[in-house]
Amino acid sequence: MKLDFAFIWTAFLQLLTAVPTALAITVVSVSCGLLIGTTVAIIRLYKIPVLHPIAASYVTFIRGTPMLTHLLLIYFGLPIIVDGISEALGLSFRSVSIPMIGFAYISFSITAGAYMSEVVRSGLLAVNRGQIEAAYSIGMTTSQAMRRIILPQAFSASLPNLSNSVIGMLHGSTLAFTVSVVDINAKAQIVASTNWKFFEAYLAAALIFWGLTFIIERLTALAEKRFNLYNRGGVS
Amino acid sequence: MGEPFDISYVFEYLVKLLPTLKITLLIVVSSIVIGLGVGFIVALPQLYKIPILRRFSQVYLSFFRGTPILIQLFLFYYGLPEILKLVNLDVAKVPAIYFVILTYALHSGAYMAEMIRAAVGAVDRGQVEAAYSVGMNGFQAFTRIVLPQAMAIAIPVFANLVIANLKDTSLAFSLGIMEMTGKSQTLAVMSRHFVETYISLAIIYFVISFGLEKLFHLLERKLLKHERRITTDVKEQLVKLGKTKRSLLGFGYSRGGRENEA
Repeated sequence: MKLDFAFIWTAFLQLLTAVPTALAITVVSVSCGLLIGTTVAIIRLYKIPVLHPIAASYVTFIRGTPMLTHLLLIYFGLPIIVDGISEALGLSFRSVSIPMIGFAYISFSITAGAYMSEVVRSGLLAVNRGQIEAAYSIGMTTSQAMRRIILPQAFSASLPNLSNSVIGMLHGSTLAFTVSVVDINAKAQIVASTNWKFFEAYLAAALIFWGLTFIIERLTALAEKRFNLYNRGGVS
Repeated sequence: MGEPFDISYVFEYLVKLLPTLKITLLIVVSSIVIGLGVGFIVALPQLYKIPILRRFSQVYLSFFRGTPILIQLFLFYYGLPEILKLVNLDVAKVPAIYFVILTYALHSGAYMAEMIRAAVGAVDRGQVEAAYSVGMNGFQAFTRIVLPQAMAIAIPVFANLVIANLKDTSLAFSLGIMEMTGKSQTLAVMSRHFVETYISLAIIYFVISFGLEKLFHLLERKLLKHERRITTDVKEQLVKLGKTKRSLLGFGYSRGGRENEA
């Protein structure tokens, strides 16, 4: 075997053009997921009557099935629902006009939402009960106590989990190739199909992902240092 | 896209997909078993801080945790035959499923190593010292004192890893393995009942991972018996103090000493 180092470099450069797609999928799914996750976590923590069982079964179902099945279900199921609704309402909108990457955004956001809700929930639970009592005792309202006392601590407690989820979604973005989105994985196949040097192309892809993961880990370590400043000193 | 929705196909495909479940489970079980061995080997240099090997296992962990499983699958599928050609080993005729199992084993091996390291590290240092003080040697202290406790601590993580592995096997279809996802794609394309097929696929995955979760939960309760005795002691004391049984519900089971993590 001869490793074609020159081709690894060419593949690497070509794969870099697909990095924005992967990052876009990651960023969109993580931010939408955080939004969904926070809502679900609050619903589950405060046990809001009707919504509570729905939220619980949403999380259980999503965490019990592979990300790929969510993507496939959304990709094939959503058009039927969208077309049915717009037909019933007499709208001209059809599912064909949804871009491919839109399906990836929607399905990965749903996936991320379930995982994020657990991250947020464990973060909120990690904050000592006495903290909110102390906030109340000096006269803060619930929203003040949440914003000033609980959320900052919950955020710093859940940072490691959050970074794991971000890395998980970054790695999950490789699934987007199943709905014909040209992400890093699909790009590697396209690049390699010209000369059949698949090994070199995937080596380049692995290097890119390794690098991206490394950067996320470093950034998290920095952020952790910054957000844990309040915890400095003392013996605990 | 596809035929109109018909719920009866969901049940029909459920039956058609079940035979391929054994391939999925074959991948899961064999990769978990091999992965446990790999994880143990990788974790040892880190636990005992062996100079150079420690670096190697760090790079191994970093690589397998830092790249997506899909990329690893393709990397091994295309790369391993070429590397083995260097030592005059022709694996061109070896079925793809062996590559898949190997990749999943190495992938979960990295996570297993982390799990083992964390679990052994979580056992209180005083336990080993106590074992030494009653005259046990290093091996006895490890097998009799550290290992049973570490196993109980590791069970929740292990359960998560097994379920994650089960869900990851859905990617094996990309190398042409006819496991559940691969089979469902063929069924869907042939009948054009896409949604129904994927619903039944999701149902099977869900039932298995839900069952696994419950199973591991039972196992964890069993392995944590030694901790439960403490809570029953508390219960007896509280009963003596004349507290009602209702107030005991708040105790649940604590994992001991993990509350003040901060």
